[in-house]
Amino acid sequence: MTRTTLGLIAVFALIAAACVTFGAYFSYVTLLNAHKGIIEARFGIAARRVADVAEQAASFGIALPAQQALTDILAREARIEPALLSMDLVDEHGTVLFSSAPGRAGGHAAADGGGRVVAQVRDDLGRSIGSVVVRYDPHILAAGAAALFDGLKTVSLATLGGAFVATVLIGLLLAAALRRAVRRAAEPAMWPAAAKSALASVAAAHQRAGASWSLRGRK
Amino acid sequence: MIGLRGGISFAIAIILCAALAVIGWAAERAARHTIVPEITAKANSVGRSAAALMERAQTLGIPFERLAGVTDYLEDLRAANAEFAQLSLFDAGGAETARAGDASGFEDPPMVRIPVTDRDGRRTGELLIVVDPTVVSAQVGGVLLDVAFIGIVSLLVALELVALVVGTRGLEALIAVEQRLRALARGRFVLHDTGKGTSARGLIQPIDLHMEELGDVHARARAEAERRGDEDALVWLEEVEERTGLGRIHAVESQAAVAVRPSLFLFMLAEELTRPFLPHFAQSIASSTEISPGLAASLPIVAFMAVVALGQVPFAGVSERLGRRSGFLIGALLAAAGYALSAVSPTYSLFIAARVATAIGYALVFVSAQGHVVDHSAGAARAAALAVFVRAIMVASLCGPPIGGVIADRLGAEAAFATSCGLALVALLVAAFTLPRGRPDERTGGVGWSQLKQAARAPGLMALLFGCAFPAKFLFAALCFLLVPLELQRQGYSSAAIGRFQMIYPLIMVLAVPFFAALADRFQVRHGFVVAGALVAGIGAMLVPLQPSIALIVVALVTLGYGQAMSIASQSALVADTASAMGGGRGAGVLGLFRLVERSGNAAGPASAGFLMAALGFAPATAFLGAVVVAGAVLFALSGRGKPAVQSGRASSAAASEGTSA
Repeated sequence: MTRTTLGLIAVFALIAAACVTFGAYFSYVTLLNAHKGIIEARFGIAARRVADVAEQAASFGIALPAQQALTDILAREARIEPALLSMDLVDEHGTVLFSSAPGRAGGHAAADGGGRVVAQVRDDLGRSIGSVVVRYDPHILAAGAAALFDGLKTVSLATLGGAFVATVLIGLLLAAALRRAVRRAAEPAMWPAAAKSALASVAAAHQRAGASWSLRGRK
Repeated sequence: MIGLRGGISFAIAIILCAALAVIGWAAERAARHTIVPEITAKANSVGRSAAALMERAQTLGIPFERLAGVTDYLEDLRAANAEFAQLSLFDAGGAETARAGDASGFEDPPMVRIPVTDRDGRRTGELLIVVDPTVVSAQVGGVLLDVAFIGIVSLLVALELVALVVGTRGLEALIAVEQRLRALARGRFVLHDTGKGTSARGLIQPIDLHMEELGDVHARARAEAERRGDEDALVWLEEVEERTGLGRIHAVESQAAVAVRPSLFLFMLAEELTRPFLPHFAQSIASSTEISPGLAASLPIVAFMAVVALGQVPFAGVSERLGRRSGFLIGALLAAAGYALSAVSPTYSLFIAARVATAIGYALVFVSAQGHVVDHSAGAARAAALAVFVRAIMVASLCGPPIGGVIADRLGAEAAFATSCGLALVALLVAAFTLPRGRPDERTGGVGWSQLKQAARAPGLMALLFGCAFPAKFLFAALCFLLVPLELQRQGYSSAAIGRFQMIYPLIMVLAVPFFAALADRFQVRHGFVVAGALVAGIGAMLVPLQPSIALIVVALVTLGYGQAMSIASQSALVADTASAMGGGRGAGVLGLFRLVERSGNAAGPASAGFLMAALGFAPATAFLGAVVVAGAVLFALSGRGKPAVQSGRASSAAASEGTSA
């Protein structure tokens, strides 16, 4: 019986601990995804701004390789965002035409490291004629992840421990209450009110029947 | 008296909610420190883009005060960036000229101000973006709600499977103690046979001695009253017997049902996982075919239900020939293969084939488990055993949808099918260990088609079956399995949220069926309860077109739950009465026909709903199905079936035969 009770308490405490752990983990992952989404959206807006300029120039008949002014625009955008490693205008073959980082023009954009956000550059017919590729320092994500982890870790561990201890304590209290109730159930004087009342009604019925028989006996 | 298991479950539910609230608070704090500054930087970037556009317009000669379509532009920006509570444009004098959203409800929110200048660099206006600091917290809140539901459902699952963890002997000991204490707390002096060979015998022996002593004294008093022919004393003693249960023996939970319960629960849970995402998943697989979305969503459900309905009768015989254990194992294996194939089906037709394979396995497992319980019980014990059996299925239908929804949302529908496959295999393993090896029965005494034909001639039975039983399942399957999931998906609800909505019906059934069954028995108005329940369910569905909103969808699910709870136990009791009246071994045919018609309703409901939804839309389709139920109830009421009912069976026996979703 004790082993069963302890087993039951352990199982339920593990469920509580697992749920709190899942809750903390899922919260962390959700925050992490939100953080990444917001950062990439911000870089995406910057990339889109440059892509809009390139599309506007293209609509006036200026081919991408001829849009020399884009180098300055790319450099200006990259200066505003310190986490940007580079912002490149890439043609449809993946060749970097212009870049905020000196020396990248003429290279190939495919094998670069770091996080990437891309905005397509399209002509008036909607065909892709190139793209603006933003490379950002992945440390910006790592720093955010570390900050989120630190923010959640202490509270989550404390909550996890608290939930586990509370479950075990309540389980032990309930088990103790069950044992006490069993001991009391063995002694009619300590039975619950409903049982005492029922016992009294049984006794009353028996007494009434007995009284009736002794009355008839006297008659 | 709540008991140890109930007490710990209740306490953990509270602890869990409190713990998740604390984590939610910590997540919000972390978001404020880490993510809100990033949102502010994003607002700055968006603001600069918007300001640049306005500056370009001014460069082209359009004065600031004549800029057109700014409000629409700001609305578009806000729609594309959920983190922004408000975007406003002010002129150089500080007057607001355009606005999207309203951040007045936020106290001291983060905001960015971007100047708008003309071609000479003079400041002509200012763009204000107010950040909504709660948007990330809301995402975290959604996640924690999912986790809270998983936690509470995990508790229910743990309660179902607790015998596997602590052992059946240990659980029996605990149940034995709790049964005695609960009886005493209610002033009942019934005798219990449970737990005498367990570790709890030392604890329960003193209680049992008191009960036996009381029972002996009472028996002697009764014998004396009978010997003396004292009618008055006999009445008093019977009254006290009735009130306290003196001398009666508490029905023992069937060991057969206890043995099959964990494996059956796990198996049913596997199928229930698929409920919230299956219609949408079917539509997505069929997107490359010519099949209409409504048909694509309903066909896998219809195929499954039809196979289950038609398989009941032949598979009962197959299960007898194979042996219950073998029937269960083969069925579970077949269903697991079906789930695995569903997860990897590249084409719609293969997916349908996978669902058919699952349905064959499901039907075989169902009849084998039911047969195992029926084979190992008799009389009142059979009703109690079937009640345990049905409770396992109802709890599975309560737990499955929210878990399946969360898995489908977070990991994909394929992962959810893979989980179902895993669960079916675990059910197979558990059944292999817990179900006794029985010898295959060559007699094949199951219900045959000829018996069904005979049963159809029972007076008034067809009016009950086609007026009430068929429409009830018709509406239930259409609404819960197809219409509601598809409509909620269309409204943007996640699979996890759909799963939570799908908990409404089984939750009400679990809570309300025993209550209404007892009421119907007490007042002997089972016919009235059947009609009233159908009217409640039907009218609830007919209300949906009044204002097709989430509130009325919930109303339809709640009224369906209460309507079914009102009618279902009485329906079963009326069918059982008919079966008893048929006599001569023909009762099984009546019950078999009842099940067949009900399950045909399960198949016909989604088929009709798929067609109606494509033709009329969600709300009219739901109302139409509700009208079918109301019309059926009226026809049944007019059919002359409303004769005074005979004394009903126990509520548990009626409830015992109900609640299966397929």
